[in-house]
Amino acid sequence: MSKLNLARRDFLKALGVTGGGLMLGVSLNACAQTSGYLYSDEADFQPDGLIQVTSQGEVIFYLARTEMGQGISTGLASLVAEELNMQPQDLQIRHAGVHEDYLNPEFGMQGTGGSTSIKVHYIPLRESAARVRHLLLQAAAQQLSLKLDEVQLKNQRIITPNKSYSIGEFVNVANQLPVPEQVSLKPEAEFTVIGRDQRRVDALAKVTGQATFGIDVGHQSKRDIPSVINDSDANIPGLKKAALVRCPVIGGEVKSFNGTAVKAMAGVTAVVEIFNGVAVVADYYWQAKKAANALKVQWGLPDLAKHSSADIKQKFIAGFEEDGQEAHKSGEGAAALAGSAKIVEAEYHAPYLAHATMEPMNCTVWLRGEECDVWVPSQFADLSQEIAAEYSGLDNDKIRIHTTYLGGGFGRRCNQDYVAEAISIAKVTGLPVQLQWSREDDMRNDFYRPAASARMRAGLNSQGQLQAWDAKRVGPNIMGYTIDEVAGAMLPDFLPRGMVDWISKRGYGVFEDWTVDPSSVEGLWDDYDCPNKEVRQVTIDPGLRLGFWRSVGHSFSGFFAESFMDELAHAAAKDPLEFRLQHCKNKPRLAAVLNKVAAMADWKNGPKPGRFYGIASVSSFNSFVAEVAEVSIAGGQVKVHKVFCAVDCGKAINPNIVKAQMESGINFGLTAALMGEITLENGAVQQSNFHDYPMLRINQAPDIEVAIIDSNEAPTGVGEPGLPPIAPAVANAIFAATGQRLRELPLRL
Amino acid sequence: MINFQLNGQDVAIDVPADTPLLWVIREHYQLTGSKFGCGMGLCGACTMQLDGQAVKTCILPVAAVAGKAVTTIEGLGSVDNLHPVQQAWLEHDVPQCGYCQSGQIMAASALLAANAQPSDADIDAAMSGNICRCGTYPRIRQAIHSVAAQNPAGAVAFYDPAAQEVKV
Repeated sequence: MSKLNLARRDFLKALGVTGGGLMLGVSLNACAQTSGYLYSDEADFQPDGLIQVTSQGEVIFYLARTEMGQGISTGLASLVAEELNMQPQDLQIRHAGVHEDYLNPEFGMQGTGGSTSIKVHYIPLRESAARVRHLLLQAAAQQLSLKLDEVQLKNQRIITPNKSYSIGEFVNVANQLPVPEQVSLKPEAEFTVIGRDQRRVDALAKVTGQATFGIDVGHQSKRDIPSVINDSDANIPGLKKAALVRCPVIGGEVKSFNGTAVKAMAGVTAVVEIFNGVAVVADYYWQAKKAANALKVQWGLPDLAKHSSADIKQKFIAGFEEDGQEAHKSGEGAAALAGSAKIVEAEYHAPYLAHATMEPMNCTVWLRGEECDVWVPSQFADLSQEIAAEYSGLDNDKIRIHTTYLGGGFGRRCNQDYVAEAISIAKVTGLPVQLQWSREDDMRNDFYRPAASARMRAGLNSQGQLQAWDAKRVGPNIMGYTIDEVAGAMLPDFLPRGMVDWISKRGYGVFEDWTVDPSSVEGLWDDYDCPNKEVRQVTIDPGLRLGFWRSVGHSFSGFFAESFMDELAHAAAKDPLEFRLQHCKNKPRLAAVLNKVAAMADWKNGPKPGRFYGIASVSSFNSFVAEVAEVSIAGGQVKVHKVFCAVDCGKAINPNIVKAQMESGINFGLTAALMGEITLENGAVQQSNFHDYPMLRINQAPDIEVAIIDSNEAPTGVGEPGLPPIAPAVANAIFAATGQRLRELPLRL
Repeated sequence: MINFQLNGQDVAIDVPADTPLLWVIREHYQLTGSKFGCGMGLCGACTMQLDGQAVKTCILPVAAVAGKAVTTIEGLGSVDNLHPVQQAWLEHDVPQCGYCQSGQIMAASALLAANAQPSDADIDAAMSGNICRCGTYPRIRQAIHSVAAQNPAGAVAFYDPAAQEVKV
């Protein structure tokens, strides 16, 4: 429990909760509401920003993390419901506005990502709910002149020996009581929600078409499900639709365009230049889109236009000869290779990738004088606010961010370029606008998963044990691009905007000389025992902008390291499972998932004739996942029939969602393993839509069997860790089938 | 003026004939359950039923539905009266981000109306036009099979506009 307690203290500190008082953080963000919370009413009982009890007895949970499919609304609601002795489905859930109470303590920002949400909120959110429970019970006892042990809280009612009451009746008294700093959590033995499958709280809205995504904002569609509320159906008078034409090479500048001709087209109300392109604003989307197609823009091209994919790969390969920066060294490092009985060397490559969320980027802005409402499917609401402030010229506290459901995130919606665009269009036109990206816009203006190459070398001793491990990763780094975006939100408010801009523009250069970006090299050394290890990073960056893509560095380093482990096993004449187990004596949880998945797949006896197994295991985001892929090869095509998956994510809050996330990570990873590739021609992304950037479809999707290791360790992430093992598991199965070692993604025979 | 049936109700609209049905439904009728995903008929997020057949509406000119019956997710079932496919989707916890699921459900319900006992190959053929980036495919398959198992005689009927209550 010590780990959990530490997390709790950190979180309380981040929240400022230790000071006590009913309306915490009031002065931090002077929104229109006195409490500083986006939807609060003074009459309600809301000891912190997370849970509110109304006088009608409703319990409202403010969702500080964004729901992008990973199931976090259900997961966090389960924590609240457990402590309040109610069902998660009975909570009213609203997307939180921007407020310090809603920070993710892992980032110090109001962000959702890194598979962190359950891990960081497991204790603190239950404490918030337990405080509410405690105060309601105390208020009820006081108001009814009963002893504390004569009142109980269950299903939003106070139950006494004689009678039951709505909790709403005790809100006024509860509001007068001091908020306790210490509360006791419900003992695990009494759990009825946590650890059990719960129906997703967002499922009903999503099977009836009523869930509100960013693209749905401003429409008056019928919504009769008390699900997640975010004012998305707000009536925005005169809302216009906007399409934006950007340079084919990201970063290009407008030189001239035929605005007058396009302005005359049906429904078009404005054709305006903004910082990165020309926007067409019309009454309806199709009018805006048609007019945008008719726009002819002359562009000034950026330096990126000098780069094409074929050259980039050659430059990465040349980079293997550079010394680079040290990312990790233990024992004697690469020098120990010299004393090995056998040296194995291999080079691997992974391409740029797009996120391709099903919902293309969009943002709705209602900017009127000194007020601004922004509806946006964002993974970082405070960053959305910061960017909106920067581009509108308003102060942050004049901007209300309404987070919607996300039609997929996968890291793409950490970046806020579409907010900057929508605000810019609204500002220059003076109109309320919804900017809608096309699929082509989305494919060609992503923050891409970096391309990367690795030269892996290892030395084995005469018993086939690893003696030396030497990995050199060549490619660009995400962090510099991120610093550009987040500087405004991370740096203190007293710095003038100009200085923030100055610092952010220098982020990249500063960072490069300072340290190795952890996300460039994560997963390249830590899973297996070896006395001498060295990992180096050689930075070569053509300038295509980069972002966090589901499982980040592990998305390529899992393929590099786990394919290489398979090569080493064969070089050592060992079974790939046995070879891994021999090298994870210090990683018992990794060994446990390997053993589990091997048992599930009957690894020892193998698959039926004509089918072949490959195995891989990766620890990422504090979780441990092993997978066995069952493939066959016919007519030069790889078919993945089945995937076995064992996961240890500590205590599973909702086992069904853990399984769903493993299925999701595996299928997302299979798209990348089998078909994902973004290429550049003179700096322009060549792919545009799902015909040339295909996605895994149902006829290609394997049967998936998931087992969760029973654990009482602190819960860890599940949104990303299912992904990294699948590409190497398939590549290793292809080797088993054909003897052909595929060292480049996507896997092509 | 283009006349058609929308979720059982006669409607008429005056928009350019080449406007894709998807945008007419979303912007003019304010039914936003059907989604925009690709604009090329490649992903199926926009799938509706036209006289009971699943169609991609991001590339279907509104003029093409004149005199026909259009059903959207809003017309398939309601919160109080879910279609069996919606019910199965709930029971299998299919949706993740949920953005593609209206289209998936419209495609699956059209499949089951035409073929009460679809094989895996039938499901592949009918559902491979609908992309799910979250990869909910195993659950989509299970949910479709579960509807089939509950309706051995093919009780999931063809869409019949005349039998539908007005849901616009």
